[in-house]
Amino acid sequence: MMFLKRWISMVVLLLLTMFIAVGCSEKQQTSGQTGKQSGENKKVVIGAALPDFDDKWLSYLQDGMKEYAKTQPDVEVIYVDAMNDANKQLSQVENFVQQKVDAIVLIPVDTVSAPEMVDKANQANIPIVVVNRIFDGVDKATAYVGSESIKAGVMQMEEVAKILGGKGNIAIMNGQMGQEAQIKRTEGNKEVIKKYPNMKVVLEGTAEWDRAKGMSLMENWLNSGKKIDAVVSNNDEMAIGAIMALEAAGKLNDVVVAGVDATPDALEYVKSGKLKVTVYQNAKGQGQGGLETAIKAAKGEKVEKFNWIPYELVTKDNVEEYIKKWQ
Amino acid sequence: MNKEHVLEMINITKEFPGVKALDNVQLKVKKGTVHALMGENGAGKSTLMKILIGIYTPDSGKIIFDGEELKVSAIKNALDKGISMIHQELSPIPNMTVAENIFLGREPSYKFGWVKAKELEEKTRKLFEKLEIDIDPKAKMSELSIANTQMVEIAKAISYNSKLIIMDEPTSAITEKEVHHLFKIIRSLKQEGVSIIYITHKMDELSQITDEVTVLRDGKYIGTKSSDQITKDELIEMMVGRELNQIFHKQQVEIKELALSVQQLSKKGKFENISFEVRKGEIVGIAGLMGSGRTEVLESVFGINPSDSGEIYVHGEKATIRSPRDAIRYGMGLLTEDRKLTGLFLPLSVQDNIITVTIEQYAKGGFLNEKKIREDCQRLSDQLAIKTPSLQQLIKYLSGGNQQKALIARWLLQDPDILFLDEPTRGIDVGAKSEIYNLIFDLAKKGKAIVVVSSELPEILGLSDRIIVMHDGKKTGELSREEATQERIMELATGELVTSGS
Amino acid sequence: MSSQVSIVNKQKKSKSAVSSKERVSRILHKYGMLMILIGLIILMSFLSPTFLTTGNLLNIVRQMSVVGIVAIGVTIVIITTGIDLSSGSVIALVSVVAASFAHPDTYPFFVPILIGLGLGLLTGVINGTIISKAKIAPFIVTLGMMTAARGAALLFSDGRPIGNLSDSFKFIGQGAVFGIPVPIIIFAFVGVISYILLNKTKFGKYVYAIGGNEHAAIIAGVNVDKYKVFVYGYAGLLSGLAGIVLTSRISSGQPTAGVMYELDAIAAAVIGGTSLAGGIGTIGGTIVGALIIGVMNNGLDLLNVSPYWQQILKGVIITVAVFIDSRKNRKS
Repeated sequence: MMFLKRWISMVVLLLLTMFIAVGCSEKQQTSGQTGKQSGENKKVVIGAALPDFDDKWLSYLQDGMKEYAKTQPDVEVIYVDAMNDANKQLSQVENFVQQKVDAIVLIPVDTVSAPEMVDKANQANIPIVVVNRIFDGVDKATAYVGSESIKAGVMQMEEVAKILGGKGNIAIMNGQMGQEAQIKRTEGNKEVIKKYPNMKVVLEGTAEWDRAKGMSLMENWLNSGKKIDAVVSNNDEMAIGAIMALEAAGKLNDVVVAGVDATPDALEYVKSGKLKVTVYQNAKGQGQGGLETAIKAAKGEKVEKFNWIPYELVTKDNVEEYIKKWQ
Repeated sequence: MNKEHVLEMINITKEFPGVKALDNVQLKVKKGTVHALMGENGAGKSTLMKILIGIYTPDSGKIIFDGEELKVSAIKNALDKGISMIHQELSPIPNMTVAENIFLGREPSYKFGWVKAKELEEKTRKLFEKLEIDIDPKAKMSELSIANTQMVEIAKAISYNSKLIIMDEPTSAITEKEVHHLFKIIRSLKQEGVSIIYITHKMDELSQITDEVTVLRDGKYIGTKSSDQITKDELIEMMVGRELNQIFHKQQVEIKELALSVQQLSKKGKFENISFEVRKGEIVGIAGLMGSGRTEVLESVFGINPSDSGEIYVHGEKATIRSPRDAIRYGMGLLTEDRKLTGLFLPLSVQDNIITVTIEQYAKGGFLNEKKIREDCQRLSDQLAIKTPSLQQLIKYLSGGNQQKALIARWLLQDPDILFLDEPTRGIDVGAKSEIYNLIFDLAKKGKAIVVVSSELPEILGLSDRIIVMHDGKKTGELSREEATQERIMELATGELVTSGS
Repeated sequence: MSSQVSIVNKQKKSKSAVSSKERVSRILHKYGMLMILIGLIILMSFLSPTFLTTGNLLNIVRQMSVVGIVAIGVTIVIITTGIDLSSGSVIALVSVVAASFAHPDTYPFFVPILIGLGLGLLTGVINGTIISKAKIAPFIVTLGMMTAARGAALLFSDGRPIGNLSDSFKFIGQGAVFGIPVPIIIFAFVGVISYILLNKTKFGKYVYAIGGNEHAAIIAGVNVDKYKVFVYGYAGLLSGLAGIVLTSRISSGQPTAGVMYELDAIAAAVIGGTSLAGGIGTIGGTIVGALIIGVMNNGLDLLNVSPYWQQILKGVIITVAVFIDSRKNRKS
């Protein structure tokens, strides 16, 4: 009896460790390629420091890099995951410097620690290309590839203004407060609203990028008795939450909902007409552009300092073309 | 206002939910004397002292200390006023040194809080020299014996240079030798003009060390007498409110067949080759000094810390006991030594404390028969005269004696054949003690086999049919009721004499 | 010295005074947080005219039902002096796994439910088994599970949400019976069952005993290890249930769902009077605690308080509520 119990608990313990181990190895699989590099010296080796492999949108960005890497037979890319830990990312960049990679692609965990990583690479004369997240002092890096967050907010809001005919009550749904995307997208929204005297922000709250929280926030707003003509959300997940709450209350037809990101889920909502507007931030394009720039820099070719990958507006009219992108 | 009194507590009243803990109580302590405070557990001694040192605020009353009225709000800093207390329950910080413990919170230090370690040690050394205590100031508290921990606590209270020191049962955990030492310290403190409030349950300490005695009963002031004039019987009458001719009514009980036999039980570093037997209706006492392995043997038989080797037979059959659950299944019960640490569920009600062992009996398909639980608990509560406003009262609000009774009720509900009682009357007053003794005799009469461990020799002698004495993890002797005397037991317990069992 | 007679008289007088005073303090003790909740509701109704409507009140309870269900499990864990940090991640894991079995025209609706509940139960049993057998602190074990379950959820879903759920499955989170949303019915059901479990069964008595004094419980013959596995298993089961309700409510299995829910749940339990030192806590208290959080979230949204201020106010209100509660306890 005793023996059996011990045995079972051991098995359970083992299972759990395996669970963890599997989770870890999944994240490390790509870095296993490091070994190859010593054998084939001629290859251009690029170190790619990503903040979080688990992030959906970033995984599309990584896909963009991987796809482009496949077309470049003489290029090898080492991917590392900082698990959203800036400190870890710094040491990963240092490792790249030690390994003497030919160039580094950096998507910073945060914008505070990024300049130091750029300095490290510069000191070792290794080209460093910053992708997606912009910060003060980014001009010290070899190049920046990305989109301007504020433009997403502007583009999204302008389309909403167009639908509403330049007047109406706007509710803004923020992402996690204090993050760059939240600040800039909302700023873009408000810049546009300012231009229309008959349009004003009546409600503003945060749903922390989360669908369930977006739904709760929308439900609460619906109970506030305020008239809402449009919900402008910092991302699609919260927008979908808002749509679900509106649908349940039977008010979706009276309210225009707009998001950002153009995730596959969101595109389905655009297709069915429930989500009126979303903005496509070209994840694959940024990934590809970043890698392309890094390879050029590694080979000593001249590169542009700022490479803007434009946002693209997605509405029911052009949604099919974006649905295809994800397939 | 009287000049010769260092402390006057007048008409102190304090209520807790459901209990009037103190009702117009007074206490007057003369300068440079030792004033005993006596009373049954729950009489209000601790509450009165907690009011004095500012833990509780009285509902009404006046406290005059050293010629100055202590305002309720000002009491908080009793230490600053010159009152310190040796608590009955020790609270050392185990990983700090002796010196650090004594001067905790008032370490000699430089600016920015850097402690002057040398000076701290030196101060402690001087204090110990004065008190003739032989403990290394640099030793960790966790390395000290209970008795030495108590001595450190005493030294700490003295180190405040207080005008009044409250000692709450300071001798409950120390040996004879240290008691003498403590009394010597008390006498020299007296000469320096320090007054002492001395809480105790031990009658013989009254004449030895105290000058006056104040008795409380049920939260009320009963009287103050001079210690050398009062007789034991008078005192007991004041305390319990009735005459108590004899504490022990040992009745002759027919001792029947063997219930428990322990053979060659050993546990490394704790005890070795312990054998003893207990019969139905028999009370076997285990005596020995603290640290002799008495408690460890009980814990081992009961499966808390199973032994390395040896055998246990219950009703003649070999028993495998690896956990308390096994022991309970074999019909054993254990009242542990430390109520708070291993017995009570402090946040729970009296009733929930009583039924813990026996819940299974009341559960049908997982659901509890609450009516039956209430009835049974009420019956036991009445039988043991547990003083509580209701069975739903949280047990933490009960006095020590009543808590102990509730724990005994827990095991009585289970109705074990073999009952181990580890210090069944520790920290319990005379009245409750006598009740518990009678209970033990009743249980024996019903054919229970009972093993009692106790540090109090009169208790062991009064209760036991047979006494096993231990010293340093070994059994040093076994005495019949007729053979046993305090002197014989002490000889065996101190290892001065080793005899084989009688 | 006063005479015997006067003492007796005084005692009689004060006895009745004691009992009425005691009654007041008992009521305060028992219902203090409920009064704070009612106070908050009254305050909010004055500040926002739309707050006190049936629709909005149902809305508050429905929003809190997911965290509330988790909080009930966590309460029982905390009563045993444990903690469960894995709830939020288990919600996510159950969410993606259950969603993948809930596509239309694949399995009947009860299949994803049973799988989700089973998975939740399994994580809890793993927690409980490691805690009781390997004697590792609950904080560490459930922290490990929090990380592992989140990882497993991401692994299983490839980091992407799983949509396209059947209507019958969506009913759990979005449907209503006689106008009462299903999540509220489930929440109430869990509340009643857990109340009975904790107050009317030996399981409940053992839970309180283990939390009150684990050592004493062992000596009293309680199979502490076994009951710890039960307790964590039950908490895991409820996390699984919460995961199913959440998934159904948002029509999507989300590997990132439930972030920080464990902390909301712990907050609800503690606001509701559960002591982290163990042995103290009630289901009713926790439900009140969850509703206090819900009323705050809702009220602050209704009043359009800036998101920055919302966070500060929530922190202040939680701390003040618990402070008032502890003051009241100390007085009695």
